[in-house]
Amino acid sequence: MANLERRTHMSALQLGIVIITTCIGAQIMLAPRDFIADTKQGAWLSIIIGGLLFYLAACLMLKLGMQYPHETLVEYVPRLFGRWGGGIVIAWFTMLFFLQIIEIFSGVGRIITFHMFDRTPPEVVILALLIVCTYCALQDWGTILRVQQIMFFIAYSMLGLVWMTSILNVQPENLLPLWPDNLGKVIKGGLSAWPMFSGYECILLLLPMVYKSVGFVKLAKTIGGSFGCLTLFFLLAIIFIIGALTVENAKNVPYPALVLIRSVELPGTFIERLENYMLLAWIPIVFDTLAIMIFFIGQVCMRHYHYQDHRPWVLLFVPIVYVGSVLLLDNQQIYDVVGTFTLWAGLGFSFAVVPLLLLRSLLIKEKAVTGCG
Amino acid sequence: MGRKRTIGCAVLIFVSFLITGCWDRRELQDRNFVLAVAIDRADNSKTVESFVKPHGAKPYQLSLQLLKPAAGSDGKDKSKTYVISNTGDSMFEMVRDMLGQSSKSLWFEHLQVIVISESVLKENGLGEILDFFIRDSEMRSRIKLYITSGKAKEFVEYVPLSKGAGGLHLAEIIRLHTRNIHAAGARTDLGFTTQSLDNNSDIILPRIEIADKVVKVGGAALFNKDIFVGYADEYAIAGRKFVAGTEKSAVVTIPCPDHLDHQVVFELYRHDTTLRPHIEGENLYFTLDINMYGNIGELQGDIERDNTNDSEYIQKLEMAFAEEIKHTVLYGENVFRKQMKVDSINLFGGKVRAYEPDTWARIKDQWHEIYPSTPLIISVNVSIRNTGSHK
Repeated sequence: MANLERRTHMSALQLGIVIITTCIGAQIMLAPRDFIADTKQGAWLSIIIGGLLFYLAACLMLKLGMQYPHETLVEYVPRLFGRWGGGIVIAWFTMLFFLQIIEIFSGVGRIITFHMFDRTPPEVVILALLIVCTYCALQDWGTILRVQQIMFFIAYSMLGLVWMTSILNVQPENLLPLWPDNLGKVIKGGLSAWPMFSGYECILLLLPMVYKSVGFVKLAKTIGGSFGCLTLFFLLAIIFIIGALTVENAKNVPYPALVLIRSVELPGTFIERLENYMLLAWIPIVFDTLAIMIFFIGQVCMRHYHYQDHRPWVLLFVPIVYVGSVLLLDNQQIYDVVGTFTLWAGLGFSFAVVPLLLLRSLLIKEKAVTGCG
Repeated sequence: MGRKRTIGCAVLIFVSFLITGCWDRRELQDRNFVLAVAIDRADNSKTVESFVKPHGAKPYQLSLQLLKPAAGSDGKDKSKTYVISNTGDSMFEMVRDMLGQSSKSLWFEHLQVIVISESVLKENGLGEILDFFIRDSEMRSRIKLYITSGKAKEFVEYVPLSKGAGGLHLAEIIRLHTRNIHAAGARTDLGFTTQSLDNNSDIILPRIEIADKVVKVGGAALFNKDIFVGYADEYAIAGRKFVAGTEKSAVVTIPCPDHLDHQVVFELYRHDTTLRPHIEGENLYFTLDINMYGNIGELQGDIERDNTNDSEYIQKLEMAFAEEIKHTVLYGENVFRKQMKVDSINLFGGKVRAYEPDTWARIKDQWHEIYPSTPLIISVNVSIRNTGSHK
């Protein structure tokens, strides 16, 4: 039997799967309302624009990572930006995952409480999920990778199956006019799709684990495939929501994806309340996103503070994550502010910090070559 | 040995936590299943079922039809349901106060139907009446809605002749709307009505009436946005359904072209209906193309003279049926556009929004003034494929 604990390398395809499982998580439930409210009929176009933009950002990260094939962001950034500058970038990177984790925990707590266990306090739901996710994050990479792969095939196929039932309620005319009247808003909407695609930043941490024989082109193609899958997935989600509920209705319900599935009636079958099946498929998906994000935080801290093991850091973060999630739970205003801040922090990291890092690394390399000459 | 025992005890204690089940479970026998809801205008009389409030009037009477868990065991003639009522101005408050009449919690996840009386709608908008049902997580999107001119409570007290649960019976009636051209059942449930409310669209809901223990669904109540404006009869609903293309099957009756005292019936089984907006200069108009395919369902008269094997006679029938369908559409449009000025489920406005978005952006605020006078050009083609099992 393979020793999963000792696994330190993975293929390009496995990296692609990890990107998909990290990106698709809680946001398929949490994000659509605000996204549709901003982009209206042009939501489908914003998803495609978002997919292309974030694929570009992922390629930049890939290019940056390939400059230092044996190191993660944590090791090479201090060399590029100095001790303090590097520290800020690493803190920024960690904060991105941390903020997403607490937002997801808080959102999941609300959804599960409202739709499944109406008499269970959301704090209890958060705590239960946090314990399970932490247990997974305490494992080594080999185990986590296997969990991600299993979830990819089981939970996603179940989610897809339940999701497809909503096609019965789609009215194509609700999607018309296809071409939006305000293209500016649609392009802006592409950027605001970041919460759905976020998670691809893990490339900067995982790239050294990909077999060295895999070149940039192959990696770019594989990650392109991942982004293609992600874009298609989100596109179908948005098309089904607008097609079945209309833009105006979707804007007014907190979780349009759930209402969409709740509207499905399968005549002649004993299956009722499909949203519960949807939630059952969604919880493992959220679990693997959260587990891997907590693992990433542990890894960053372990590497930054030169520890041999990521586990103490994971355990250290557990109470902070819990308190943060509960704080967001209690105050919608803080939740919204944190959401907006995370969006801009994410966009800033992808489209300002990473290009700057890449530029700096290329300049340093060029200087080194010129110096040699 | 002692250590093993301690570990064993710890494992047992841990496992006992896992097998406790749901702490907030509610067993089936601890729930009162609400199958139907009736909303009436409350009279001012003080009843024991009501409650004291420090402020506000009590405009609503809410009646719930509850399922008897073990009905039928005492005798076949017993009803499977019973009704409790309350008066107040908040649906949620009334529901919670009704726990004073119920030994178990009220469970709305199996709610099938909401019947609203016209008297309530004259005073209140549909949106405010339905808000509780839209907002609560126990409610389903496919709950059927009905409007009645009489007292809604009579419907939740109604016991079907089959002695089944009344709420289920009422919900099943409208499920057959695709084959009943007189019932407005398409996009009229709670989910679709919520969509119409959110889109500021006019609403159409099926009408239900009761007399001498006979319940009948036919015609529809029409709303300008969420304000009740009146009823459309069965013939107008048939016309509207032909325009919207929401019928899957229909029966069209005409007098035989050669012998007017005999009836001929066309049974529609497939149609291809297209409603499209067109802009010509500043003018907006619609075209409606209906292609119908079906059978002769009934022919009263002498089959030797009215020969269905004669292609000329069939062609004559096809033209007569097409003319009748056109008349039905025009009648429906007269009721909806001219008399009521209601564009139910945003049928025409939605087409302009979808296919002529620039025009819609200009006219959407004046749509209710423009809509009644917008021309509609109708073209109907009927094709009789079969004449039935006999000549």
